[in-house]
Amino acid sequence: METWAQIKELDWSLVASEGNVSFWPNRLWPMEKHHHWLGRSGGYGVGYGAPASVGAALANRDLGRFSVSIQSDGDLMYAPGVLWTAARHKIPLLAVMHNNRGYHQEVMHVQRLANFRNRVAYLGNDMAPLGTSIQNPDIEYHKMAESMGWWAKGPIKDPADLAPALKEAVAVVKSGQPALLNVWTQPR
Amino acid sequence: MRIQIGVVLAGLVVGLMFGNAAALAASAENGKIAYVKNGCWQCHGLLGQGSLVTSNGTVLSNSQLPFDAFKNYVRTANRAMPPYSDKILSDGDLADIYAYVQAVPKAPDVNGIPLLKP
Repeated sequence: METWAQIKELDWSLVASEGNVSFWPNRLWPMEKHHHWLGRSGGYGVGYGAPASVGAALANRDLGRFSVSIQSDGDLMYAPGVLWTAARHKIPLLAVMHNNRGYHQEVMHVQRLANFRNRVAYLGNDMAPLGTSIQNPDIEYHKMAESMGWWAKGPIKDPADLAPALKEAVAVVKSGQPALLNVWTQPR
Repeated sequence: MRIQIGVVLAGLVVGLMFGNAAALAASAENGKIAYVKNGCWQCHGLLGQGSLVTSNGTVLSNSQLPFDAFKNYVRTANRAMPPYSDKILSDGDLADIYAYVQAVPKAPDVNGIPLLKP
């Protein structure tokens, strides 16, 4: 809703999937126009989000629409080069990261299977079971985006810091540039 | 301070209601650690707030579920929620986890959050 509060007066378009964030945008944002939501990959594909959002933002750019994505961290690990594409071609897109520091679907899956086999899934290094967390080191997605020509800020860990950062990012996107906020979140 | 009081109260209430030694000695502080270590947070959120997608909307924090029912569910779940046998989660840790979710401060009233106003 922090994001919504900053874009609600614009002709906005959510160009990201929603399952990884418990459908929150679709439950809380009024979806009244066909372009208010791009939809899903159709195949539960990890890595679809970032390229799809840039493609949709390119289409929206010429229509004068404001593109916003809720960008998952694991998803961005698959084809991060698309960030350079967006900067190179001046595709305005606000990417607000849902950075839960893990491939969370797999986090839960490994825990579940370990339990059914009476095995302890926690190995003591990260919060999540083996091979599923994206921690130690934490990825500084904002720096990665900056390195590819984006305006970026983060990691945002205090909810009080989110609204001011969103205001800045929205202004950048309205000027025609892509902007990314690396926001640490709850798991889902 | 509020959490400390909650810790004591949760432990006392559980212990007095069910006479369970493990529950009587429960520690919300230890429970918070056990809650993370055993992966409860993965589906239920770090504060037991739940998720429509990963816990069918079930909210653990400030649960009205008695400890025995809570324990029975954790031990025998066999669908989306996997079972936690005593081989991977001790009775003591389970009691601590219960104390933790009971001690989480209550969420603010939705109607009092301006951002959620239509």
